[in-house]
Amino acid sequence: MNWSDIVGLGLFASGLQLAMPTALAAVGEAFSERAGVLNLGLEGMMLGGALAAFAADYHSGSAAVGVLAGVGVGVLLGALKAFLSVTLKTEQVINGIVLVIFVQGVTAFAYERLFGSAGTQPEIPALQTVRVPGLASVPWVGPVVFEQNVLFYVSLALVPAVWLLLQRTSFGLAVRAVGESPAAADSVAVRVDLVRWLALLVCGAMAGFAGAVLVIGDVTLFGTNVTAGRGWVAVALVIFGRWNPLIVFGGALLFGITDALQLRIQAASGGSNSAVPFEVFQALPYVLTLAVMVLATVAQRRSAQPAALGIPFRKEVIE
Amino acid sequence: MTAAETGFVLPGVSRRGAQARTLLVSAAGVVLAFLVGGLLVLVAGGRPVAAFRSMFSGTLGSGFAIGELLVTAAPLLLIGLGLALAFRGRVYNIGAEGQLFVGALAGGTVALELGGPGPLLIALAMVAGIAGGALWASVVGVLRARFRVNEVISSLLMNYVGIFGFDYVVRKPLGDPAAGNALASRQLPDETMLPSIPHLFAHVGIFVALGAVPVVWYAMRVTPFGFRVRMMGLNPEATQVAGVDTRRLIVVLMAVSGGLAGLAGVIQVVGVEGRMDGGISASYGFTAIVVALLGRLTAPGVLAAALLIAFLNVGGQAMSVDNGLPYSIVLAIEGVFVLFVLIADRFARAAR
Repeated sequence: MNWSDIVGLGLFASGLQLAMPTALAAVGEAFSERAGVLNLGLEGMMLGGALAAFAADYHSGSAAVGVLAGVGVGVLLGALKAFLSVTLKTEQVINGIVLVIFVQGVTAFAYERLFGSAGTQPEIPALQTVRVPGLASVPWVGPVVFEQNVLFYVSLALVPAVWLLLQRTSFGLAVRAVGESPAAADSVAVRVDLVRWLALLVCGAMAGFAGAVLVIGDVTLFGTNVTAGRGWVAVALVIFGRWNPLIVFGGALLFGITDALQLRIQAASGGSNSAVPFEVFQALPYVLTLAVMVLATVAQRRSAQPAALGIPFRKEVIE
Repeated sequence: MTAAETGFVLPGVSRRGAQARTLLVSAAGVVLAFLVGGLLVLVAGGRPVAAFRSMFSGTLGSGFAIGELLVTAAPLLLIGLGLALAFRGRVYNIGAEGQLFVGALAGGTVALELGGPGPLLIALAMVAGIAGGALWASVVGVLRARFRVNEVISSLLMNYVGIFGFDYVVRKPLGDPAAGNALASRQLPDETMLPSIPHLFAHVGIFVALGAVPVVWYAMRVTPFGFRVRMMGLNPEATQVAGVDTRRLIVVLMAVSGGLAGLAGVIQVVGVEGRMDGGISASYGFTAIVVALLGRLTAPGVLAAALLIAFLNVGGQAMSVDNGLPYSIVLAIEGVFVLFVLIADRFARAAR
């Protein structure tokens, strides 16, 4: 095994690319949870966004159209989640699981209907790598961060934008207020349910975008399990990142690098007859997510969690 | 906290009118499921009447078809019952798929590696399967009870770990050399296979699943244990104040639902596949979540829902083969169905 091949700059470059969809979805989830809504439909939103992006890109030949379609479906699913959680106030854990099951069923059918007749698995063209002039020649950082595709740069720009929206605008203040103390927010005329609706639309957009980045920016194929649990991992990473979008994002990227590391060790250690079974490597990201989530939960004693997370808001009526 | 807030009407708590409305919603849901199904058949370029005809003949048209229906319903029923119980206590186990595989691995290994009289081996395999699934699920329970780790995410993540573990064991240590690198263990000896029911192409394991219905119903409705579970689902804090050890109850609910999933896995091995391979589950652990929710978290409801979903799955295969329609129509129907019931239940309660 040649370690210099495994742990090179390529590891970090591919790790960042691998981590980006999960990281984007996790940032969206952090936003929704800061507004007090637990969105366990994230996996479904990513999957829906991924199929829409794939189909639109495939038929239009334009990655931009694909991304827009992915975001659009994400927003629609965000609206569905908001309708179920905020308007109807059904239990958030249940409606999240139901949303995932719903999307899995519909995407399986839609994909078969749209592409089932094709003999070979349809594929969309990969995005070209864009070297950022000047910055790409910076040693170490350049080849890792500034030799990526266009979606990668858009993603990098989007995350601080979401953070600014949450921390530096009056809408963001309202989001944080309804997540911590909806009654107090309501008493100063913040429309709790409206703010939560909007937060879920933002979350849906991010999750749909994450799905688009996954299929257009990375795998260029669609399969019914293309998201492979990334949405669930993203929910876990929100706890790890203490509900702060920037820490969540950074943590998710770090996580992606370890994921890339295991893929490379797996590839280098030689298939089904290697000393360490490849299933160990396949299971590793999930074990790691679990370990990280447990440690984060134990360490912070839930203090960073928005106080009203998962609780629907009902106005107290004085009779 | 009221029933409206928990998202489910509790039997015994609800009034008769609410129960009637729940039945009405279920009936409307079934009608809607078939309407949506017909529509999807049209979209896929098929003829709905022909499609439904092959669904019915593929599930009820012959002894073989009925056997297939019951054999498919069995794991859905067993797992669905356990999930209904756990969900009642607001312990959201969505790791049944992994628990099924771990249980199948434990039970299948016993049946494959231990010698002895067949019936004894089958019994031991079932015990091992229940223990395997229960232990696997308990990890999630302990993490939630001790450290308040969200069980939805941890149980989902454990699915992957359990299934990859299963893959490794059946590929390598217990693998069938003749199968090459295929994911299948060696064949079980004939005497460790469940006998089939005469004149019905089904194994006796379906009686185990059917027998679990009154047991779970009794446990949920009549015993103090069931009362504590329902109470914890309504208000965990008050339940704790009332002196119930809710931490222990959480672990017990995970273990019971995991044990039933493990039992379902063993039955698939000794009843259907005859070896340990991926074919023991067509995502039964996930589909059982649909079954539990459609069954309104009651034992009789889960029985009805398991039969209905098995009808859709088995009938869907017949429809797919006979008419060249995509099987995924069934998955879409199930997705729409469960979403409809969630929304309609909410409105049915609001009308009260």
